[in-house]
Amino acid sequence: MIIKDLNHNSLLKENSKLDLEALNLGSFPKRKEERWKYTPLRSLKKINFHNQFNFKIEHLNSLGIPKIEGLVIVLENGKFNSSLSNIIDLMDIELLFLNDGNIVNNSQELSHKDYFTNLNFSFLTEKVVLKIKPNVNINEPINFVNIISDDNCISNTQFNIDIYENSKLHIRQYFLGSSNSKDGFINHRNQVSLKSQSSLTIDKFQDLNQNFNFCNEFIDQEQESKFIMNTFSASGIILRNDVFNNVNGKNCHSELNGVFAPIEKQHFDNHTTINHFVADCKSFENYKGVIKESGVGVFNGKVIVHQDAQKIEAFQKNNNILLDDESKIYSKPELEIYADDVRCSHGSTTGRFDEEALFYLRSRGISVKKSLELMTLGFINEVIEKSNDSAYKEFVLKRLLKD
Amino acid sequence: MSELLIEIKDLECNIDNQKILQGLNLKINKGEVHAIMGPNGSGKSTLSSVLAGNDNYEVTNGSINFLGEEISEMSPEERSWKGMFLAFQYPVEIPGVSNINFLRTALNERNKYFGIDSIPAKDFLKMVAEKSELVGLNNKLKNRSVNEGFSGGEKKRNEIFQMAMLDPKLSILDETDSGLDIDALKIVANGVNKLKSSENATVVITHYQRLLDYIVPDFVHVLHEGKIIKSGDKSLALELEKKGYDWLKTDENI
Repeated sequence: MIIKDLNHNSLLKENSKLDLEALNLGSFPKRKEERWKYTPLRSLKKINFHNQFNFKIEHLNSLGIPKIEGLVIVLENGKFNSSLSNIIDLMDIELLFLNDGNIVNNSQELSHKDYFTNLNFSFLTEKVVLKIKPNVNINEPINFVNIISDDNCISNTQFNIDIYENSKLHIRQYFLGSSNSKDGFINHRNQVSLKSQSSLTIDKFQDLNQNFNFCNEFIDQEQESKFIMNTFSASGIILRNDVFNNVNGKNCHSELNGVFAPIEKQHFDNHTTINHFVADCKSFENYKGVIKESGVGVFNGKVIVHQDAQKIEAFQKNNNILLDDESKIYSKPELEIYADDVRCSHGSTTGRFDEEALFYLRSRGISVKKSLELMTLGFINEVIEKSNDSAYKEFVLKRLLKD
Repeated sequence: MSELLIEIKDLECNIDNQKILQGLNLKINKGEVHAIMGPNGSGKSTLSSVLAGNDNYEVTNGSINFLGEEISEMSPEERSWKGMFLAFQYPVEIPGVSNINFLRTALNERNKYFGIDSIPAKDFLKMVAEKSELVGLNNKLKNRSVNEGFSGGEKKRNEIFQMAMLDPKLSILDETDSGLDIDALKIVANGVNKLKSSENATVVITHYQRLLDYIVPDFVHVLHEGKIIKSGDKSLALELEKKGYDWLKTDENI
């Protein structure tokens, strides 16, 4: 992988074209590493990226998403795009944009073990920081749209969300690739901090077309906080989500749900780690894979219950449907339990749709295509229903079903 | 002279290379009710599956002419659009798909085939209210997933409800009486009778005469080893109830 640094990031001032191995990023992930075992990175590695930003999108609706209201923060090709954004003043929210000059590129930040995190810090072009004051309940979702619209462009972005005590927020994140761009890459990092008794729901939607998207997400929860993340993966060459949810306070609720629907050799990958460090918490995971036409899905979920974390309830579920012989799923639910008084379960199923059910639907005059769509809908509905906005639900469904 | 609805000629079919139907002939006119009876394994359910277009069954010979068209190669959905309906012996559960959404999709798919606009939500709901009353289908069941968690009786009522919604030309009721208590049986039979008209026909497949007290057939056929070996009027069903099937099998052998 080569990045042509046209943006002159602080770390890379001297060279305009860099072999990344010259940077201290650690080694590019290899298949023999457990975490990358199922994720072939050849197609990503061979691309020569640049990070020169330019704005190409004139209207958000050209990206096929429904009209978004309220606060909308749009990044395009790694930069804040003010004309696409709608920055309204919300009294209880503090919003900061850190870019170029005011990002301190601390070389200590490169001490992460993960290559793509290091890459993100080294080439970071836009960091959005959102803080919500204590005791505030904001009902309208805040929208964060991250677009790649330029061929071979790498976008390294970060979004920090700090929810203070007893506040509540709902965020919708859209990761989008314009349909006429290819081989772009959004390498994004979410950093979430939930103070005590706060609550955050993130609906995350990924529709990258012929581009790549990796998301590293770090969530820290203090006591009695509630975190829900619903990840809907509709398209992209490789989509990879690495969620690290650290539960540091008692009586927390953590919930990770997802639907991933790769087709045509797309590779959608969900890695999750929930760390239960303390007692009396609950966590839930529910991921559904619908895979067809040589698509590949990965679910690798890990729940770690540390030694003193008694009375933990952790439930992890991954169900997959393969629609043909060419499609693949790697499912690996993991529990590591070091406490002795816990209720934990995990399960994974992979199957096909029932032939009898298909005949039943067809005998009522429903075509094969529509029947499969109905059954898919039935299969993923449980997760889609987590969102309570019917227009959003309908849109997500449509894109997941590739309708 | 009544109008011919379906004509089955010399129908032979296999499943897993095993011959099930072996030269079956049957003619049904509009306005008629036919009962097909026969011992276990005689091919009754196979006949219903083949007519509905289940591709697990391979038609090896013969023809099925439905409203002037050969349908033995036609897809199940196309048969449905043209007016074929099978009430399943074991209705299938479809998790996560609501009964309502399922039926609306079915009606809209048919409308699409005939180039008609989708049915407006208001009209659809009115129709649902009307037709579900016919079989006393509990309101809650309409919004639940298709057949999921339904009792045996509810599943069968749901089949007749779907039949009412789709208003088919030919309805095949495959052992609709199995698993029904006498009250449910009456309700289901009553629903079927109400749907009867001079434009459609019903085939009742059953083991027992009991259902035929409520859905009175014009013709009764006995199926044995994949063929109809005897046809008669409703008195044949009563005779079968008394004497069983063995006397017919012997007759045939002579």
